[in-house]
Amino acid sequence: MNLFASKESGAPKTQAELLFAAAQRKERTFRFNVALTWGILLLLLVYLFSGPIKVDAEFIRENMLFIAGGVGETIRISILSIILATLLALLAALGRLSTFPPIYALSTFYVSLIRGTPLYLQIMFFFLALPQLNIRLPGLWAGVIALGLNYGAYMSEIFRAGLASVGKGQREAAAALGMTPGQTMTRVILPQALRFAIPPTGNEFIAMTKDSALVSATGFVHELMWRAVKVGRAQFHNLEALIMAAIFYWIMTIILSYIQNMIEARLSKGDR
Amino acid sequence: MGSPIVQVSHLDKYFGRLHVLKDISLEVPERQVVCLIGRSGSGKSTLLRCLNFLEEPSQGSIEVDGIKVAGGERGREHRQLVHDIRLKTGMVFQEFNLFPHMTVLDNVIEAPVIVKGMDRKAAIELAEQNLDSVGMLFKKDEYPMRLSGGQKQRVAIARALTMEPRVMLFDEPTSALDPELIGEVLNVMKKVALEGMTMLVVTHEMGFAREVADRVIVMAEGELIEDATPEDLFKAPKDPRTKALIDRYRSGEQ
Repeated sequence: MNLFASKESGAPKTQAELLFAAAQRKERTFRFNVALTWGILLLLLVYLFSGPIKVDAEFIRENMLFIAGGVGETIRISILSIILATLLALLAALGRLSTFPPIYALSTFYVSLIRGTPLYLQIMFFFLALPQLNIRLPGLWAGVIALGLNYGAYMSEIFRAGLASVGKGQREAAAALGMTPGQTMTRVILPQALRFAIPPTGNEFIAMTKDSALVSATGFVHELMWRAVKVGRAQFHNLEALIMAAIFYWIMTIILSYIQNMIEARLSKGDR
Repeated sequence: MGSPIVQVSHLDKYFGRLHVLKDISLEVPERQVVCLIGRSGSGKSTLLRCLNFLEEPSQGSIEVDGIKVAGGERGREHRQLVHDIRLKTGMVFQEFNLFPHMTVLDNVIEAPVIVKGMDRKAAIELAEQNLDSVGMLFKKDEYPMRLSGGQKQRVAIARALTMEPRVMLFDEPTSALDPELIGEVLNVMKKVALEGMTMLVVTHEMGFAREVADRVIVMAEGELIEDATPEDLFKAPKDPRTKALIDRYRSGEQ
């Protein structure tokens, strides 16, 4: 694998090999120092909460499972919402390509309206305003629709960029081969555009797991944040409860980022 | 020579106010190899792209192998005719335009299977035959990204041939290639010509025009200014613009 490792040891090293080894050493030292500093910062945090800042270990032990039980719900909302958001984003991006004015208008109207209002307001709208019109959505679905609509509007830009990344030559080649516009879209343009859109969609998913905490404000969805606030308020242990929730969110994002990096590495070394 | 397989009648093309093709009429008999030459901006690529309606002609008509399509029309019937004429023509682009997400073989069988509804097995057989004849069968499972420009263009030629067109259109097929890769593509084109394919080739390769073409058409400012056999054209160009073009080629040759 490594060009330089395969050389016989003992053979005189060339200038290039020496430079390469030095660069590798420098890189390793840098990474080691970064990891070391991370460790120190983590230890510092642990120390802070075990001494100078008083936390109630009893409370943490008692409520750990209850709060952890929200992780599943948080992931469930996020997955359902990202699916809805992806569909909406794709439709909105395709709508932007339409030469039929009502479709184009619908797409831009949706994106403008959603991006022009706060996410928090949109969530409240689905939970609190709709019931006034006698529309009562189950808590989870109200949250999913609000998050999905919101992220769909932002993510439509990702898909638009994905579609734009496919050159005009691809359409012309498909047309010259006799493909219809529909065949060109599904067989040639979309596969390339989606591939382009996968890494940024992963980023949006990670952001969404955190924004899903906003849904807790409605009180209808018992995800991570809602559970932390509930037990924290009831026993006036908000500090411990929020720290626990923060740790769960943090671990989730670290894991998701790791998966995201793997997918990205795979895509970039693949057949493109 | 038989009856014309390509017939262009009174073709006009405007880009906005720019009149890029001016009342072009042209007949190409079956099995003829025609090279279109001219300076950039002369309209030669636009003319070629009008033949399969990648550019919609503003006026006039195109007929390929009995399918006659008038320019500047709309509607379902027109779209069907355009589709039919595209099945009669194969096109090779300057930038190859292979599908990067498909292997070489999938690139070649895609349209026969999807557009013509050809049986997958039969399509693979035909595709492998054509890939073999352009010398690219050994790369059939590779993705285009791993091919050189010359190899990509040869695959693109095989892809167009596998649709079994009656006429092949080449739009500056060697202009995007490194000089040392031009020869392999020209050789494949020569082979296709020798097999009796009707070809229209927009090119700057005067050597190819002189050696392979039956006929060379010179374009300038949206008109056909000269139309002759390569021998006559290179020996005794009539139009001063043709003479300038050939002189420049000769000076570049030495």
